[in-house]
Amino acid sequence: MTTNIKDIHKHNRVGPIFRGGELATAAIDALEEDNPDKEFTIEDRAAYIRVETDHECIIRRKTMEEILGRPFEMQELEVILGSFSGQIEAEQEYVRFYFDTKI
Amino acid sequence: MALLNRSDWYDIARDTNWTPKYVTEEELFPKEMSDCFDVPREKWETYDEPYKTSYREYVKVQREKDAGAYSVKAALGRMKFLDSADPGWKSILKLHYGGIALQEYAAGMAEATMARFGRAPGMRNMATFGLLDETRHGQIQLYFPHEYVSKDRQFDWAHKAMHSNDWAAIATRHAFADIMSGRDATSVALMLTFAFETAFTNMQFLGLAADAAEVGDVTFSNLISSIQTDEARHAQIGTPALKILIENGHKEGAQKLVDIAFWRNWRLFSVVTGPSMDYYTPLAKREKSFKEFMIEWIVGQFERNILDIGLDVPWYWDTFLEDLNTTHHGMHLGVWYWRPTVWWDPAAGASPDERDWLEEKYPGWNDTYGKCWDVIIDNIKNGREDLTLPETLPIVCNMNHLPIVGVPGKKWDVRDHYLDYKGRRYHFGSKVDRWVFEQDPDRYAGHQGLIDRFLAGKIQPANLEGALKYMGLQPEDCGKDAHDYAWVWNYNKPDKVAV
Repeated sequence: MTTNIKDIHKHNRVGPIFRGGELATAAIDALEEDNPDKEFTIEDRAAYIRVETDHECIIRRKTMEEILGRPFEMQELEVILGSFSGQIEAEQEYVRFYFDTKI
Repeated sequence: MALLNRSDWYDIARDTNWTPKYVTEEELFPKEMSDCFDVPREKWETYDEPYKTSYREYVKVQREKDAGAYSVKAALGRMKFLDSADPGWKSILKLHYGGIALQEYAAGMAEATMARFGRAPGMRNMATFGLLDETRHGQIQLYFPHEYVSKDRQFDWAHKAMHSNDWAAIATRHAFADIMSGRDATSVALMLTFAFETAFTNMQFLGLAADAAEVGDVTFSNLISSIQTDEARHAQIGTPALKILIENGHKEGAQKLVDIAFWRNWRLFSVVTGPSMDYYTPLAKREKSFKEFMIEWIVGQFERNILDIGLDVPWYWDTFLEDLNTTHHGMHLGVWYWRPTVWWDPAAGASPDERDWLEEKYPGWNDTYGKCWDVIIDNIKNGREDLTLPETLPIVCNMNHLPIVGVPGKKWDVRDHYLDYKGRRYHFGSKVDRWVFEQDPDRYAGHQGLIDRFLAGKIQPANLEGALKYMGLQPEDCGKDAHDYAWVWNYNKPDKVAV
C-alpha cells in the first residue's frame, strides 16, 4: 500500500478495467502481446478486473482477431470496458490508454 | 457488402456546423443554453471526441449488452436470490433503485441539452448516444426491481422516490439539478460527464458490483457493471471540452465547475454508497471498505486524470481526504436513527464483529461513532426502542440537504457553517458547501430545504407524523432496523428480553 494518502494520485498507471469473461481474458492476452516491453498488474475482483501498466498501452484489433480466432470489431470491447485509468483513444483499429504527463 | 472504414467518413458525417440562414448563430446557440464561457465557434471545431462510435456500431453493441443483462436476469430469476438475501443487501437494492433509476432519465435530459446545444459537432453526436444510454439506464433499473414490488412494497419506491418530498429525494434532486438540468451544455459536459461519470459512478456501478458478486447477486452485479460500460463511453464527452476551455484561457472557470460538481457528488455518495459498503453489505462479503474503494476509484484514478488534463486538485482536497474517515459514518448514524423517514430498512452494521472490522478500517471508530452505538445498544437491550427513534427532524445543510454531521465522542466537532444572505440565514454542513453557495448565491438562495418547509408551516401536523406524511411514506413503507435488532443480542449481556 502506498504511504501517504496525499500522494496516492501521484502515479502513472494506466489501463482498462474490464468486466470478467472470455473477452476480457482475450483482451488481457492482447495487451501482453501488443505491449511486449510493459509489465501489467492484474487485480481481479470478480465483477471487474483492473489491468494497469506504466504510462501507456494499446490493444490492437488484429491481435484480438488472432487470439479469438474470429473477426473482431474494436467496438465490441465496449461490452466489457467498464472503466479505465488514464485517457483513452478509441479508434477502429486500436484502443490506447495513456497519460499526457509524467509524474 | 464491404463497408467503408469509419475513419473515412466519420468527420464529414458528424460535421453539422452548418451556417444558419434564418436565425443568427446566437439565436441558434444561446449562451445560457450552450456555453457560459462563450468560447468562439471556430475554437470548438477542434473538439475531437476520444471514444468514438457510429450508429451502426452503437446499435450492435447495445443490443449485445442488453441481451447479456436480461438473459442473466432470466436465467437466475428462477433461483429466487432475493428470498434468501440478507436484509441489509435488500436495502442496498432499494436505496440504489429509488435513488438512481429516475435520475437516469434526468441525465437523459442533460445529454439532450448537449445533443442540441453543444457547441461542437462531436459533442452533439456523442451526447445523442448518451441520451439513448441514459434512457436505457432508466428503463432497465425500473424493470429489474419491478418484479419485487409484489413481495415488498418498499421496492415500489424505485419509481416513487424521486416524485416524493422524502428528504433523500430532495437532496438527490438538488444535487443533480445543479450539475445537470440547471446548466448549459458546456457546464453539463464538465460537471456531469467529467466530474460525475468518470469519477463517482465507478463507485456505485463497479465498486458496489464487486460487493454484489461476493454476495451472490449476480443479476445486480451484471446489470450495474453493464450500465457502467455506457458511462465509460459517453463520460468522454467532457475531456475534450475541458481541454478546449483550458486552451482558451478558461482554466479557472472550468476548475470551479469541476470542484463544485465533485463536492456535491461526494456528499451524496457519502450517504448512498458509504453506508451501503461499510454497514449494509454483510461483513463476510465486503470486498473493500468504502474508504478503500474511494482511494482506488476517486483518489487514485480520477484525481490523476484531473492533473493529466491540466486542472489542479480541488482547493479543498485535504478536507476531502480527512472526510473519507468520517462523513459517511455520521450519515449512516443519521439514516439509521431517522429510519422511519427512508424507503429502505437500514442495517445497523454495529455487531461486535462488524465493530472490529470498522475499528480496523477506521482506527478510532469505537471511541467516536461507537460511543453513539453503545447508547443505542443499551436502549434496545433495556426495552427502550422508543429512545432510538426520532421525535424531531435534524438540522440539514442548505446545499447538500443532508444532515449536518460531525465526529461524536471526545472529538466532538459538529458545527454549523452558516451564511447570512439577503436577510436569511443559510446553514451548511461544511465550509465547502458554503463556498459552493457563495460562488453563485442567487442560484441557490430561496430554495427551501425540508426543515425550512417545516418551520414555514408547510408540514402539518408539525411533528414526525406530519413529516412522514409530507414525505409520502405510509407506515408500511417506513424503514425499520433491517435485522430487527438481532445484532444487539450478539453483545454479551443478555439481561433483557427482546423488544
